[in-house]
Amino acid sequence: MSVFLRRVRLIALKEYKHILRDPFTLAVALLLPLLFVLFFGFIIDLDYKHIPLVVRDNDQSPLSRRFLRQLSAAGYFDLAPAHGMLAAQAALRRNDTAGVLVIKKDFGKNIMKGDFTAPARAQLLLDGSDNTKAAMAQAYMTGALLKINADFTRLYHADAAAANPDALVRTRFLFNPELNSRWFIVPALNTVIIGFLAIVLTALTVAREWENGSMELLLSTPVRAAEIVLGKLIPYFTLTLFDVLAVFVLSLYVFGIPFLGSFVLFTFACCVYITGALALGLVISVITRNQQAAIQFAFAAGLLPSFIFSGFIFPVENMPLFFRIFTGLFPQRWFLSLSRSMFLSEASFAALAGPMAGIIIFAGVMVFAAVKKLKTDVEP
Amino acid sequence: MTAAEAAAAQANENIIEVKDLTVSFGDFKAVDGISFDVKKGEIFGFLGANGAGKTTTIRTLCGILNPARGSVRVDGRDVSSSTAVLKPLIGYMSQKFTLYRDLSIAENMAFAGSLYDMPPARAKARAAELFDFIKLRAPQDTVAGDLPGGVRQMVALCAALLHDPVLIFLDEPTAGAAPRTREDFWALIRALAARGKTIFVTTHYMDEAQYCAHIALMDRGRIIALASPRELKKTYNAQNLDEVFIKALGARGAEDER
Ligand SMILES: Nc1ncnc2c1ncn2[C@@H]1O[C@H](COP(=O)(O)OP(=O)(O)OP(=O)(O)O)[C@@H](O)[C@H]1O
Ligand SMILES: [Mg+2]
Repeated sequence: MSVFLRRVRLIALKEYKHILRDPFTLAVALLLPLLFVLFFGFIIDLDYKHIPLVVRDNDQSPLSRRFLRQLSAAGYFDLAPAHGMLAAQAALRRNDTAGVLVIKKDFGKNIMKGDFTAPARAQLLLDGSDNTKAAMAQAYMTGALLKINADFTRLYHADAAAANPDALVRTRFLFNPELNSRWFIVPALNTVIIGFLAIVLTALTVAREWENGSMELLLSTPVRAAEIVLGKLIPYFTLTLFDVLAVFVLSLYVFGIPFLGSFVLFTFACCVYITGALALGLVISVITRNQQAAIQFAFAAGLLPSFIFSGFIFPVENMPLFFRIFTGLFPQRWFLSLSRSMFLSEASFAALAGPMAGIIIFAGVMVFAAVKKLKTDVEP
Repeated sequence: MTAAEAAAAQANENIIEVKDLTVSFGDFKAVDGISFDVKKGEIFGFLGANGAGKTTTIRTLCGILNPARGSVRVDGRDVSSSTAVLKPLIGYMSQKFTLYRDLSIAENMAFAGSLYDMPPARAKARAAELFDFIKLRAPQDTVAGDLPGGVRQMVALCAALLHDPVLIFLDEPTAGAAPRTREDFWALIRALAARGKTIFVTTHYMDEAQYCAHIALMDRGRIIALASPRELKKTYNAQNLDEVFIKALGARGAEDER
């Protein structure tokens, strides 16, 4: 083993010991993500399953019936057939239903034709009086459609699918509130958890060593800045990666969110994003040299970008131009977009390249800055 | 004698050569144009009130701080340009308690040894030797944070000595220690000097300064007196070093008023 790796290893092993002997760090690192998931996943929108929906099927083909079967199997909608358009509209007015789903004529024929420029059409009319419920219904429908589209494409047009990312079935929403449901929140949870937790975890480490004087001692030994930085990153990296995988498994099996993207690519993106966030924490730690200041900085650098600038609460697309550009500085925004795309669609690599570049650049700059800063910090 | 030979002979004599050293934090000069040499194998004492700039000087000599002005040479080399070569030669015991409180004595020592690329077995043997010398009785698996102050300092000293450095910086090693512990400390320090190690030590205790071959008195970033204890007592016509210190500072005070 080279001297470099040997020293990285010994710093990392020491750091593991610190973590394992500090119940507080360990508790924060392992329980905080769970609390997040429980809070955002369950508490926020537990009531919105089984949304009543009246269906008017104008096609009455085997394919339209198959579409409805799949939609109802997803469990989010309770479908009831309507006899005629008038009856459907009456149900909407009487508040008997959250919306009306109209399947257009030639729905089945269009699917079989597989002309992606003329997709099969369905229309979803939503009752806008309950804003949240309508948003939820729309989000569920979007998610269900992603899956159904993928299935239909695979079944009937496997050859064309690779070349054409467009949908076979497309829905027009007559009501378009901000998307805000579990389908959109859960895939974004990792963004917030890493973007916040990872920064706070490492922000304390170097500051702690400055405070008790051991950093000064480390710097008087032959150990180099890069070895310290890497050695400190590794233990927290494994800890955070564990959190990410735990949240991933919960998303799939507890919340039933589909994961349609590439798992390998997703793991890779997680690793890059974690590294960047951890390194940012180190930079904060090296600059402040003080645990109290470090934790305040870390909160500021973690919370605001994770919740506000990432698109977690306010969609980036709806922001003014300045903020659309400004949010690009934060890896949270890029990872959030990656994570949602990979959960909810079979996004092609090309579509992911931009956000992927965003988090890679951020991680590179942060690791470089941490090493550089630790090295030059020696000078007053 | 050529210039190179002369330089080599000098380096042989002096392990530390400081010329006109200034270290600043922003506008504030913590160390302000000091010069001194330390001979190989001597105990060199650095005395001064709080905030005089002792720690800052040591940190600069260890390559942790870079000087604003002046030159610092250790073992004939410029410190800021050859830190990698010099660091293994240096042992530094900081004024702060620098062991990891959540690690045991054994773990702390193993870590200290590995930082200098020592094989674990050798580090362990050497630690046992040092602990023997200081008569450490605490079990090896005691967590460092649980040790009483004096013992902790002792262990920290052993950690700094583990890799057998030739130049040892001790920043107030005996601060707050019991008189007995201080005696043990100095016994170890003198034994090291007898073995040819150079010791650079700062202290607040004048009685400890007796053991030093040379003493530098520091005040507000400047060296106001630099000589052997005996010479100092003679110059200031004093009975002991306490008196020397008071008189030296008094002279400085009078100068300030002028
Ligand atoms: N990192 C720093 N930034 C700013 N000022 C500093 C820094 N380190 C030390 N100082 C200032 O430099 C001066 C000298 O400090 P130094 O620690 O060298 O004194 P000292 O002689 O070791 O004192 P003590 O006996 O208290 O240890 C002090 O006024 C101190 O406040
Ligand atoms: Mg000091």
